[in-house]
Amino acid sequence: MIFQPPILALLMVAALAALVALWSGAFAIRVLARWDMANMSRAQLRMERMAELVSTLFGAVMLAELAALLLFVFNSDRMASLFVGAMCAVGTLNVNAYGFPALYLKIGVFFAATLWLILDHADRLGRDFPLTKVKYAALLAIAPLILADGATELAYFLNLHTDVITSCCTKLFTPNNPGLANHMASIGEGTALVWLSVIALAVAGSGAYVMLRKRGYWIYALASGALFVAGLTAIVATISLYIYEDPNHHCPFCILKPEYGYFGYVLYVPLFFATAMGLGAGLLQPFANIPSLKGKLPGLIARQVVWSMIGFALFGLAVIWAIARSHLILFG
Amino acid sequence: MITLNAVTKLYNEGRPNEFAALQEIDLTLARGAMSVLRGPSGSGKTTLLSILACMARPTSGRVSIDGELVSGLPERFLTELRRTTFGFVFQRFNLVRGLTALENVMLPTVPLGADYGQTRDKAMARLEALGLADKAAMPIEHLSGGEAQRTAIARALINDPPILIADEPTANLDTALAEKFLAILAEERAAGRTVILTSHDPRIWEAEGVDRIVTLRDGRIVEGELAEGVLGEDVA
Amino acid sequence: MMTWARRQRALADYTLAALSRRKGKNIALVAIFSLVVFALSSAMFFAAALRHETTVVLRDAPEIVVQKLIMGRQDLIPGDVVETIAGFRGVTSAKGRLWGYYYDRINGANYTVMVPDDPALIPPVGYVAVGEGVPRARGLAWEGAPLFLSRYEGDLKRFDVDRTFSRDSALMTADLVLMNPQDFRAFFDIPEGLYTDVVATVRNQNEVATIVTKASNASPQMRFVTRADIERTYQKLFDWREGLLVVLAGAGLLAFAIFAAEKASGLSAEEAREIGILKAVGWDTRDVIAMKMWEGGLVSLGAFLIGTVAGFAHVFLFDGVLFAPVLRGWAVIYPDFALAPHIDGVQLMTLALLTVVPYMAATVVPVWRTASGDPDAVMR
Repeated sequence: MIFQPPILALLMVAALAALVALWSGAFAIRVLARWDMANMSRAQLRMERMAELVSTLFGAVMLAELAALLLFVFNSDRMASLFVGAMCAVGTLNVNAYGFPALYLKIGVFFAATLWLILDHADRLGRDFPLTKVKYAALLAIAPLILADGATELAYFLNLHTDVITSCCTKLFTPNNPGLANHMASIGEGTALVWLSVIALAVAGSGAYVMLRKRGYWIYALASGALFVAGLTAIVATISLYIYEDPNHHCPFCILKPEYGYFGYVLYVPLFFATAMGLGAGLLQPFANIPSLKGKLPGLIARQVVWSMIGFALFGLAVIWAIARSHLILFG
Repeated sequence: MITLNAVTKLYNEGRPNEFAALQEIDLTLARGAMSVLRGPSGSGKTTLLSILACMARPTSGRVSIDGELVSGLPERFLTELRRTTFGFVFQRFNLVRGLTALENVMLPTVPLGADYGQTRDKAMARLEALGLADKAAMPIEHLSGGEAQRTAIARALINDPPILIADEPTANLDTALAEKFLAILAEERAAGRTVILTSHDPRIWEAEGVDRIVTLRDGRIVEGELAEGVLGEDVA
Repeated sequence: MMTWARRQRALADYTLAALSRRKGKNIALVAIFSLVVFALSSAMFFAAALRHETTVVLRDAPEIVVQKLIMGRQDLIPGDVVETIAGFRGVTSAKGRLWGYYYDRINGANYTVMVPDDPALIPPVGYVAVGEGVPRARGLAWEGAPLFLSRYEGDLKRFDVDRTFSRDSALMTADLVLMNPQDFRAFFDIPEGLYTDVVATVRNQNEVATIVTKASNASPQMRFVTRADIERTYQKLFDWREGLLVVLAGAGLLAFAIFAAEKASGLSAEEAREIGILKAVGWDTRDVIAMKMWEGGLVSLGAFLIGTVAGFAHVFLFDGVLFAPVLRGWAVIYPDFALAPHIDGVQLMTLALLTVVPYMAATVVPVWRTASGDPDAVMR
């Protein structure tokens, strides 16, 4: 293991998140067994108050995980100088088999925690807390994810050996290597952009539809998820080429570096935010007809769709700007 | 209209020192009236007031306000309801030391996210109406008893609640101040506010404008002659 | 959205007023917290500055160093290797180097003695050029005082000091003594045609590995060390020392977290009453938690800013006087130089996570316990 402050900070966040997951998981089991809003007993009151603590803790875990996700990528990039063959985060993450799974799990935890907080917020709008059991059942599903994230991260850091020769983005994101990353890279530059535009149009269309008709939000959520995938693919296949001004450099991490003006954040932050909001809208739709939520939930869902569309629009502008300002000419 | 049906409140439920502060209370208090809860100490006045004002949940029974059942609401919504429905004047005023009179009056508005300027103007207007305009910027510990109580009244009224609640409001006041306080209450009642008090001060029971007196003993409501008996004991 | 912002503003206002009312307690809290942040940030800035310094210094170093090994020990390398290495495709130049260590029996210091690669730096015969640490260690008071070196009892060799290196980037040059090749061979008794090692520069960075492979096959008794190897070794060394200091500071942090948790749970009667009042006038448990989070946020932000700025000043204005011995090493001659200010997002984020998260974690449960009191408590 490499003994380094950012790693210590990441492990500390992971350990605290795991503690929260374990504790709130145990609490969730109690809620599922005994929650009864009609009961006015002291025990029920205590559970209601504990629920406040769980919400607070999850909010904190989400924020800390968000910071940890950024630090994880940031630090992987910086540590590249320690490994033979690594030039950016990809090389560092490739040092052992746990690197990329740890990253994917971190992204998963971020989305799960955000969606859970959306569910929590919706639940608290209803005078009888109608979603409490759903919410805590969901928590039981998220807790293992957080534990897996912590364990994978620990395994990754414990197995970081500097004598390993790793392969970096030039090898990984190259069309003629087997694997998902290469799949993304091998999609034609044009194809990826066309797909991105088509799905973006689908998002805009379904967004307009749900705003007018006030239903079918799951279509929008589905389109958001698809746009997330299409967006990431387009970044690997095409957009990164424009940013690097190099027709062969497909890396989705180097764009986060200062050399490229941290442009990656301008792409990723709105994309992640918009996706979370879009998925949240779809998640809440089945509950819109619960009597105690009828008055408030549709408004919340509509606002989420608006925020999501704003986020995607910002992502779109960033993409267009990246292409327009580049000196690289891929088409024409 | 506040209605209580078979409300019981147990403290230390299930433990050897369990006791019933209220037992099977049925009570309806009308809107726009001034009602007084009276009885010896330990009779359950304050507990009843807490339950009426959604500060505590009954152990069993139902509480409804204007026909809406509130006894089963989660604590969070009880708070919300309390914020919009009730204004409190506590026995010991319960003002926060170190804050000015104005800041104390504005306390209930903090969680609402209301516009700061408007709220401050409203609070100033309340203080002015109660003759405290020149004390607004003074820390609360520099105010006299009467001034502190009027600050507490201003705070109770800041969110313009339909129901004003006061717990033993005259316990710490001399006669002149007590009369002044009663005059303020009468004014508020005349303006259409519901007023609910607890008191074992005869000056209040006999005051003008009191519409209803509810007598409590050992956690139950007693009426008629029996009620007079309870009073006699207590005053003596 | 507006409502949310206004609510947060009102809560922050209230919190600020509350903090200023309990000045003594909060100043003590911020002071101790700042001290912990200061220790952490000093260690991290110092190590990062050293890493940065190493990278800068190594930027001009040759890509490959060739050493001759005999029985696993480094030995003098014959000059004909230079031609062999220079013959490889991709190698721009290869040169034999003369350098070694000299133990100064007068003050117990170790100097690095070498013949510089750059002909312009080679001093005339009988003269030396020295790093700024050497006159300091010797107590040479005035400019131009000669340097006497003694190899064994009764031996004394006089060198005049041609020049002293400035303090810029002194990490690698503090203990340096530069000599003319003729003096060097005479002083250390090295025959003509032998060198300490051979260095090679390579045109294309990406070819270094290939050249090393080819050269190793051609001369198996030689050892090839690349610049990347050296850099990695330094990075690891500094990382490790930094980590060690951070763990030590972490112990301090843990102690502080316990202290903070204790402070947060041991509410004074006055504070408990205040929270009772807030709940009675219509604050929700959530509102009280939010207010307390603001309190924690303001305290940790204050401590973070104070500690980070103080750490920055400590390292870059006062040369990290407190930690320098641990991070630099324990050599008799410390390099004496001002570190170039260097700070980045990873450091700040790490620092923020390492300090704020434990504080929040330590206080959240006590805060919640405080906030979930019964609202009717003030009536009893």
